[in-house]
Amino acid sequence: MTKANRNTLLVGLAAALLVGGVVSYFASAQPDGLEKTQADLGADAPRHGGVEAPPVAFHEYRLKGLGEGFWANAAAGAAGSLLVLAILLGVGRLLRRRGAEPASPEPPDAG
Amino acid sequence: MHISPGFLSPAVWTATAAVSGAALAASLAAAGRRLDERRVVLMGVMGAFVFAAQMVNFPVPLVPGTSGHLGGGFLLGVLLGAPPAVVVMTSILLVQAMVFQDGGIEALGANVLTMGLIPALVGGAVRRLWRRRAGRLADAATFIGGLAAVLLGATVVIVLLWLSAALPGSVSLWQAVGVMDFVHLLIGAVEGAASVAVVRFVLKARPEAVFEGVGGRMEASSA
Repeated sequence: MTKANRNTLLVGLAAALLVGGVVSYFASAQPDGLEKTQADLGADAPRHGGVEAPPVAFHEYRLKGLGEGFWANAAAGAAGSLLVLAILLGVGRLLRRRGAEPASPEPPDAG
Repeated sequence: MHISPGFLSPAVWTATAAVSGAALAASLAAAGRRLDERRVVLMGVMGAFVFAAQMVNFPVPLVPGTSGHLGGGFLLGVLLGAPPAVVVMTSILLVQAMVFQDGGIEALGANVLTMGLIPALVGGAVRRLWRRRAGRLADAATFIGGLAAVLLGATVVIVLLWLSAALPGSVSLWQAVGVMDFVHLLIGAVEGAASVAVVRFVLKARPEAVFEGVGGRMEASSA
């Protein structure tokens, strides 16, 4: 990985961890715009069969076993951000390998 | 704005899953065509950041007892182009549904449509403007685009609920759209303003990371 890309990765990840792990602890717990609209319209009860993922490690955005506090939220923010990052780096790697044209790391007409 | 489990009828969630599945396949093909390490890293960190930003619910101005959060699909569309933005938003929504019970699993296609595909396409359109010239016009288009993307998505959510017979019979579609869009007008204004701020910041900090290099090639290939 080039130095510039590593810097992007580290700075971006630090920003994500700060926002998802720390700032989000102070987020509003009020219903969101859709939930509020559904409640106002009297349409907040499910009418069909739905599928919700089982709360294996996280109950909503709280790591199970850590209660409702700061660290339960921080763990959710960190785990979610890292998981999204891992998926996208994995998908990116697969796509690049599949589309491996004559690999030129720099666009020839850049600059 | 995630649709929770049990609100969409089987016909509606099947149809929206088909639309989003096709959009994801097309986006993967399009994004994969010009993917270098730099763009993969950008997609990854921006995905991580948008996931994190979505956790920050803020009180909606003028509507007490309600919160909103950024969608981010529009911003990703501006910064990365529509196809990568669809791929990134799908990854985020997948993690939210599977790990954090945010949004129904059967509603994933609908949530990708309203928070991924629609805002990504609007963002991709605004991206063309930035390519041509940064300035007040691009700023204004970004604010209006961010707002429009949220309103479009919100309106489609209500239409899907209506098609699913998940609204009470006493409420008309237009009333429901009115209530939903009023709240999302304010959330969308925040989304638009935040998008302008982030795009400006990126342009100042590392313009080459987002707008150069790919630019010339994309225009050449679309001509």
